[in-house]
Parts: sequence; structure tokens; C-alpha cells
Amino acid sequence: MNTRFLLMILALMAGTLGSHAGADVAGDFAAANKLYAEGKFADAANAYERAIQSAGSAGTASAALYFNAGNAEFKLGHLGRAIAAYRHAALLTPRDSEVLGNLGFARNQVQGATVRPAVWQGWFGVLTLNEGTLVTAGALWVWLLLLTLRQLRPALVSRLRGLTLAALVAFVLGGTVLAVQATSRFATQTAVVITGNVLARSGPFDDAQTVFSPHDGAELTVLDRHDDWLQVTDGSGKIGWLPRKVLDLLPGA
Amino acid sequence: MNLNMRGWTSGWRRWHAAGCALVAGILLAGQTASAATFTTSLDREAMELGESATLDLTFEGGGPSGTPTLPNIPGLNISYVGPSSQFSFVNGQTSSTVTHHFTVTASRPGVYTIPGLSIDVDGTTLSSQPLKLTVAQPQAPSAASINSGSQVAFAKVILPNKDHLYVGEVTSAELEIWLRDDVQNFGNLQLTALPADGFNVGKLTERPRHRTQLGNRVYTVIPVSIALTTIKTGTLTFGPLTAQMVIVLPGANNQGGDPFFRQFFNQGEQKQITLTTDTYSITALHLPGNPPAGFTGAVGHFSMQVSEGPTNVSAGDPITLHVRLEGRGALDAVSLPDFSNWNGFKTYPATAKTEYTDPQGLEGAKTFEQIIAPQNPDVREIPAFALSYFDPDLNQYQTLAQPALAITVHPSGAAAVPSIAATKPATSEAPAAQSDILPVKQELGALRPTGAPLLVQPFFLALQGVPVLALVAAFIWRRRADSLANNPRLRRQRAVAQLVQTGLGDLRKFASENNSEQFFATLFRLLQEQLGERLDCPASAITESVVDERLGALSVPADIINGLRELFQLCNQARYAPVRDAQELAAVAAKFENVSRALPAIKA
Repeated sequence: MNTRFLLMILALMAGTLGSHAGADVAGDFAAANKLYAEGKFADAANAYERAIQSAGSAGTASAALYFNAGNAEFKLGHLGRAIAAYRHAALLTPRDSEVLGNLGFARNQVQGATVRPAVWQGWFGVLTLNEGTLVTAGALWVWLLLLTLRQLRPALVSRLRGLTLAALVAFVLGGTVLAVQATSRFATQTAVVITGNVLARSGPFDDAQTVFSPHDGAELTVLDRHDDWLQVTDGSGKIGWLPRKVLDLLPGA
Repeated sequence: MNLNMRGWTSGWRRWHAAGCALVAGILLAGQTASAATFTTSLDREAMELGESATLDLTFEGGGPSGTPTLPNIPGLNISYVGPSSQFSFVNGQTSSTVTHHFTVTASRPGVYTIPGLSIDVDGTTLSSQPLKLTVAQPQAPSAASINSGSQVAFAKVILPNKDHLYVGEVTSAELEIWLRDDVQNFGNLQLTALPADGFNVGKLTERPRHRTQLGNRVYTVIPVSIALTTIKTGTLTFGPLTAQMVIVLPGANNQGGDPFFRQFFNQGEQKQITLTTDTYSITALHLPGNPPAGFTGAVGHFSMQVSEGPTNVSAGDPITLHVRLEGRGALDAVSLPDFSNWNGFKTYPATAKTEYTDPQGLEGAKTFEQIIAPQNPDVREIPAFALSYFDPDLNQYQTLAQPALAITVHPSGAAAVPSIAATKPATSEAPAAQSDILPVKQELGALRPTGAPLLVQPFFLALQGVPVLALVAAFIWRRRADSLANNPRLRRQRAVAQLVQTGLGDLRKFASENNSEQFFATLFRLLQEQLGERLDCPASAITESVVDERLGALSVPADIINGLRELFQLCNQARYAPVRDAQELAAVAAKFENVSRALPAIKA
């Protein structure tokens, strides 16, 4: 009894704290939108960043926050930061047409070589990783429960055959999508160049020879890391090392 | 290494001073108390610029706890050498003296006063008298004395044979130290003063020695080259340079005898000498006006080599421009022209590396690495550029011109690119008609948790075991059901067990109701069903005779057989005398229960 009471108190406290954090983020979001509307893009970008940090400290994130932050950075001419923000938003809402539209528009402004996901990767990115996980798990549950029902009621076997096969196909397809998504999420890392005048070097130190110069907003695949340096490739076969501070890291391709 | 030696020396000095003070303290503690004294002294009252004097601080009958600190005197440089101590024991009286030695050098001529010092010794402040030190301008020996060969050693400076220098011009002066042929050896050569007004003094390099006859004596000449950079206009002065060295001259007692033996046995006399040069002057001029456009301050004479690569690139790719300047002059001051105004190129800050080919750092090569990136495929060449310098020998500006360099620039991403690389976004991401970014969102929307993905959360993975377990349980259940359906004897066994279980309840019920007829009818049926199942024969075929015939053959214990026989007999008796009381019926029911419990052990 006491334990149950304690759990109820903790749940109420967690709910209260969560709602306070949400209220703070909403307030910061509204204030940042006001600054943006007034044309104070630098202040708006800072306000959005604060709201993102505030939400992050509460263990949450908002696609709208990242989207609007990307807009403010774009208005400031910070192409790389804008693309990074849009990509963070797309991770949360991969089917949001506004996010995809602005991401594509910002990407079109980038000069030079850059890594872009292939079309088939775009298909697999229609669902978030959690959505893909839930779809696959749902198909698995339906398939297994149908198999269970067939054991309990053998008379229903013939009537459930089609449904069971459909559930199995759904599970296999969902599992494939999930495998691709998980591989992309956990085995690949992308970096967006967030400053101009960046030189990729042949080794992880300042005096190393220059290999190539990615532009602001270029999306690069991370191959390796050494201290505060990341080995990246621009997708055209050029490989070099860049300092961590000039990049925004994102999970996945 | 030098640092280590310096640290070791400093540490040795501290320990030495502390040791002296300790020994002095111990000895002083045992003697009759006497007043401590403190005096200062210079080993000379006058010296020439470039020479050094020794300042001693002497404490008798006590000493300071640490190294005495001297005031800063403009024009004088006083450096601590170390302590020395002296003890005496005469007629039971101990006395000690600790002396701290300092070296005094001057940076310019003049009369200096070392003020009286006040130092705390054992709680008493002791004071000393001021000291005067006169530092005179050194005088170079006269030309007559040099030419006559009367000078054992002398020094002179040879400036470049030019009427004037230009600001920024680098040149080299030569200090020559002449040692007469009777100087057997020399060492500890130290340049003690190098006044150079209007010059930036660079590296000093000793060149190969040679011998020269002057008058009727032969001298060994030690040339030292001094790199100089002119830093201002007007009349510049150089010198007097002063140097100290120790030379070894033949001893006074060894002048005679055979020269062959004298070179082996003459030990000679060491002598420290000071060498002083004259003061030299030269005029420095401004560079001529109207320098060419590519002039960035380089003075000297240079040549330029330019290379570039790669020359076949995509737009935005870097091209490295190597510009190598070789020649004599102030290479450190040379820089490239400003390339940031080149149309169609993005330029990055250039890096430079200088390599000198002479020990003085007057000649060499400076290589610039300038990274440029063509921004569009319309760029066809790296523009021509020029670098100008002022040649002080020709008294005019010279221009090194570099013609335009052809390059090929492809559209960005036109090179062979893997499928994952593209310069255009996926069609699903960007509406073709979009001309600007879409406006900001006014609704915050749902805040989504940012924890680890469900896929890697243990509870979620464990949850997926639920339908698997359900399927396994259902499968096991199905297997058991099928097994039962295919085994009639097992099915009968379970049915009989269920019947006995129910029948025992009925028996107790009939006993309590004193319903003898129903009681025995039920008992008889239960016995038939249970024995029929055990003996695998129809229940109706079970009678008392079967008990004797079949169970006896199966080696069933006698008490069970007797119990069964008794129960069958009671049933038979009840058909004729059914009335019994409730207690008797309950006892019969208990007896049946005991027998029934033992029957499953019987195997047909």
C-alpha cells in the first residue's frame, strides 16, 4: 500500500515537472517566434537554441523548434547550421512536407560536393526509427497471436491462413525496413559543415596538408575520429580530417 | 641542457649558502658574543665598457638568512655569482666570514654609484657605505700601433663597401679579431657590447680563420660575420664593439732556448684582455617613391617560381598555388600580393615556409602555399600576378611577373561521383516551385521524448517475448490435448480418477443422509469403474470373483485384496439388509477411500 502511494506521488511529481518544462519551452518558442517576426534573426536563433536546450534538458525535443531554428539560421546566411537544424527536425518528423521543403531548398544553396541520401534511403526514411520499430513489433505480435489462436482453435486454421500469411509478410517487410533504418542510425554518422572557409587536411592536426575544402552546408560522412578531429568524406572519394568544432554531427546517413 | 645546468648551479648555490650559514651559526653559537659587521667592496673603481667588476658583500660574525638583494641601478647589470666562507679558530675564539660575490657590468659609459645597503642580520639591520664605479668609453688602439705590430691582439669591424643603405635592406658586417703570432692559445671569447643604432642585429657566425702579415708580424685573423637589417633612416652608428678573451702568452722565464723544445715545455702565461673597435657610421635612405603595384616591402634581389595543382578540378575544389621566392634579402618581410580580389575564386590565407641557405639567414627561399578555389566552371585560368621588390644594388624596383595559368573547371559534382553523392536533393524533399524557405511554424506541437530508441530499450525487447511465450504455451497445450485424444486408456484413467473424486463426495453425502441404498449403489459402481480401468476390462464385468482371480494373479498386496473383497461383500449384503446407520456408512466410505488410494499402483 505504501509503495503504491509512493509511486503515485512520484508519478504526479514527474508529470508536474514535465508540464513545467513544456510550459517553459512553449514560452521560449513563442518569444523566439516574435523575434523572428520582427526580423531579429540572430536573437531569434539564440532564443530557439535556448528552447531546444530547455526541451533537451527535460528529455524531449520538438520538430517545430528545430524547423524554426533552421529558418532563423538560414536568414542569417548560416547555411550549414540551417541544414543541420532541418535534419534534426526531419529525424523527428520525417514526413513533414515543410521540413523536407526547407531542407531541400537549403541544400540547393550548397556549393561543391556533398553527400546526399540515395532515393532508396529516402524511402526507408519515411518512418522514424521508433515508428519502424512499432510497426515491425505490431506485425510480429499479430502473426504470433494468430499462430497461438491456431493452436487453441484448430478449427480456425483454414480461416486464419490468409491473415497469418499477411501478418508474416508484414513482419518480414517491417523487419527489413527496421534493419536498414537501424544500420543507418547506428553504423553511420553524418556531419554538416557549419562554417565557411574550412580546409580538410590529410591528418588530424593543423599543419597537415590540405586535401579539399568543403563548403558551408556540405554534408559529409564520418569515417573515423581522433580526439577533436573527424575523418570525413564528401562522397566523391575525397577524404580528409576536419576539426569537430566546424561540424554538426547527426545520426544516420 | 643549459636549463638543467642552470638549475643545478642555482640549487648548488642555495645549498652552499645555506651550508655556510649553518656552519657559521653553529660556530658562532659557541663563541663569545661579538657584534656582526657588514661591508661592501668593489675590486676596482674604474673600468672600460665591456669589462666587468666584482662586488663583494662581506658579513663577519653573522650573515643574512638568504641571498642579499641589490637595488636596480640603471645602466648597470649586477648578477649574483655565489657565496664564499672563511672560518678561523684562534685561542678558543671562533670567527667566521661569509662573502657574497656579484659581477657588475655596464651597458653604457658613465659614473655609477652603488648605494649603501641595509641588510638584516640576526634581527639587526646592518648598513654599508656607497660605492662609486666609473665606466669609461673604451678606446681602440691607434692605427700606428696596429701597423707597427706592437698590439698583441686587436679587433676591427669591416662594414659593407657602400655609401648608403636602404631601410629594410639586409647586409653583413664583419668583426675581425687579430691575434699576434706569439699568442700561443686563446679562449673564452665573449662579445660584451654590440651597440648598433638603427640596425636589427641578426645571427653571428664565425668564419674560417686565416693568417695575415701586418708589418713584420704575422697575425691570426678570426672573422665573425654579423647580420644586420636596416630599420631606420639617417646616420646609423655601429660600435664600439667590445669583446673579452683569455690569451696565453709565452712566460717571462721561457723566452730563450731552443724554439723546438720551448713549444713543448713552455706553459705560458694566461692573460685576460679586452678588445675594442672604433665606432663606424653609415647613412640609411628611404626607399624611392612610387613603388609598383605588386610591391609588398621586399628589399633585396629575388627570383620567383610558380607552380599550381591540380589544374583539372570541379567548381569549389581547392587548387594549391606554390610561389617560391629565392634570393638575398629580408625573406621574413616578403609577402604575397592580395589575391582576394580575384573574380570567380575563393581564396584562403596563405601559409609560408622559409629556408635559409646561409648560416646568417641572409639568403634562402621562401615558399608560399596559397589555396584558391574556383567557384564556377566559367573560370578558365588563374589570373596573372606580379611581385615587386626593391633592389638596393641597382637602386630601383624590380618586378617579377607571372602570366596567367590555364585551368579546367568542371561543374560541381560533374566528376565521377558515387551514387550516394549528389549536388541536387532527392526529389521527394524539395518542391520544384519553392523559391524561398517556408515560414516558421506557429505551433510548438508535441514534445517528443529523446531517449534511446525503442529498438535498444530492454523493456521493449522483453515485451516482444510475450506473444512468443503465448505461442509456446498454446503449442504445449495443443500437444497434450492431442496426446490425450490419441490414448483411450489414458483418457479412461483420467475419467475414472475424476469419477472417483466426485464419487467420494457423493458417498460422504449419502452417508450423512443415511441413504444406504444410494450409498452402496454408488460404492459398487465406483469399485467396478476403478477396477475395470486398472484391469483394462469393462466395468460391468467386475465382480467379487474377479477380485480373487485377477488381482491375486497380479501379486496385489493381500490387505488391498481383502479390503476390496470386504467392500464387495458389504455391497452384496446391502441388497438384502440395506438399513445401516450413518456412522457405519461413513466408516465404509473411509475404507473405500483407503483402498481407492492404493489401487492406482496396480498395473494389469
